Amino acid sequence: MTNTPTNSFEWVLFIAKKYSDLFLRGTWLTMLVSVSGTLLGFILGYAVGIVQDTAVNKEDNPVKRGILLFFKGICTLYVELFRGTPMIVQAMIVFYGLRQAGFEIDPISAGILVTLLNTGAYMAETVRAGIKSIDAGQREGALALGMSPISAMFHIILPQAFKNIVPEMANMFLTNLKMTSVLNVIGVQELFLQAKTAGGTYYKYLESYLVIALIYLVLCFVFSRVFALIEKKTAVRKDYVLAVEYMENTQ
Amino acid sequence: MSEEIIRVEELGKSFGEHQVLRKIDFSVNKGDIICILGSSGSGKSTMLRCINQLETQSCGKIFFHGSELGKKQKEINEYRSKVGMVFQSFNLFNNMTVLKNCMEGTQKVLHLPKKEAFERAIENLKAVGMAPFINAYPSQLSGGQKQRVAIARGLCMQPEVLLFDEPTSALDPEMVGDVLNVMKELAKKDLTMLIVTHEMDFARDVSNRVLFMDKGYIVEDAPPQKFFSAPEHPRAKEFLSRFIAG
Ligand SMILES: Nc1ncnc2c1ncn2[C@@H]1O[C@H](COP(=O)(O)OP(=O)(O)OP(=O)(O)O)[C@@H](O)[C@H]1O
Ligand SMILES: [Mg+2]
Repeated sequence: MTNTPTNSFEWVLFIAKKYSDLFLRGTWLTMLVSVSGTLLGFILGYAVGIVQDTAVNKEDNPVKRGILLFFKGICTLYVELFRGTPMIVQAMIVFYGLRQAGFEIDPISAGILVTLLNTGAYMAETVRAGIKSIDAGQREGALALGMSPISAMFHIILPQAFKNIVPEMANMFLTNLKMTSVLNVIGVQELFLQAKTAGGTYYKYLESYLVIALIYLVLCFVFSRVFALIEKKTAVRKDYVLAVEYMENTQ
Repeated sequence: MSEEIIRVEELGKSFGEHQVLRKIDFSVNKGDIICILGSSGSGKSTMLRCINQLETQSCGKIFFHGSELGKKQKEINEYRSKVGMVFQSFNLFNNMTVLKNCMEGTQKVLHLPKKEAFERAIENLKAVGMAPFINAYPSQLSGGQKQRVAIARGLCMQPEVLLFDEPTSALDPEMVGDVLNVMKELAKKDLTMLIVTHEMDFARDVSNRVLFMDKGYIVEDAPPQKFFSAPEHPRAKEFLSRFIAG
């Protein structure tokens, strides 16, 4: 026992090394669940946000109006439910609820499902606010050309809303990266659960949590850089080149 | 008599209790250049927006080449592709360059091949003197430049009628002339236009008909010579005297 750690710092290194497999697997699962859950959640959020933003037109036929109102009702209910309850409770209800109903869902899939549902609910509101922030004139300009309302939404409004939403999407991404830690309650072996396991043998919980704190920090840093890059890419360029070939001498 | 393009019958529009348009009746013939005058709040914009179906009328009918315009979205889209609109606030697509702004409608609505859409865009941008700016984004242009691009965007659809809602009201005075000159050129090319404006000289010199609106009614419909020299309605007289005095 020549190199038994003698202080906290050494214990951190010791545990990180000894349980590197656990931490790697935890990192992988944390990323898998948060990345896939968030991306799928974004898609769901866009869909729900667009449905919620769709105006019910008095001129439409009753069937079309009925269907739209029904979907809008479902969306509102969904958003309220998931924004109004903690993710840790959602995880328990979704996981055990599905199992009790006879669906043999594994913890990882359940974790992704909860993350995506949670993200979708928040994202829906963000998307709706993003759409609202685009001047009504953009839509009218498109409609006046004969574009359909749906086409106007996808080609004109959403691309502009997206640009405004990117910072909020980044925010949500980082939040989810950390929030997946609550999924330990349904047995997803993400970073938090692995740290608990790793800390148990030597009763060195603090040191073990310090290891994952560092991992979380690095992950968040990397992802925030990635989003900063996306934000930069979507920004309008400052300069443009005059098309001299179309310059006329007369003017 | 030349061919009728749009006819409006007994058109009315209310916002809740507020009746903004009442019993609007008139028709637009091919080659018409109609200026719509009236004081603020008289319903000019609302009428134009009803004609283009950005607002749905509360009552009355719109006929396009003699057949009534239905309520089906598809029918309205197609009608709009033939009846263009230029807005006071330009409404250029902020996420697209000048060139893309002018190709969006022809590609997505008329389904022109890219090459043809490009050629049409360049041709119309040249006509308004904005071809050198094809790579610029709207935020990089002055108001007058934006409005000229917006006109080019409308022209690319080769509309039968182009509606203008105060196209120069948001512009600095020195840019008003550029936009009016473009519109005068269009008038010479026999484009049918419906123009809400406060530019009296333009209305007098370029239009062939003046509609004067008051409190949601069209109270006078006359050739400009007659309207400007001998208006009949007391509100029109008052309106004109204000302009001559100011
Ligand atoms: N979406 C709306 N909801 C409620 N009221 C409206 C709406 N749009 C217009 N109005 C009202 O209708 C009346 C006519 O408005 P409109 O914009 O057509 O007038 P205008 O003749 O174009 O005036 P201006 O010269 O100031 O542009 C105004 O009293 C206005 O407040
Ligand atoms: Mg107006």
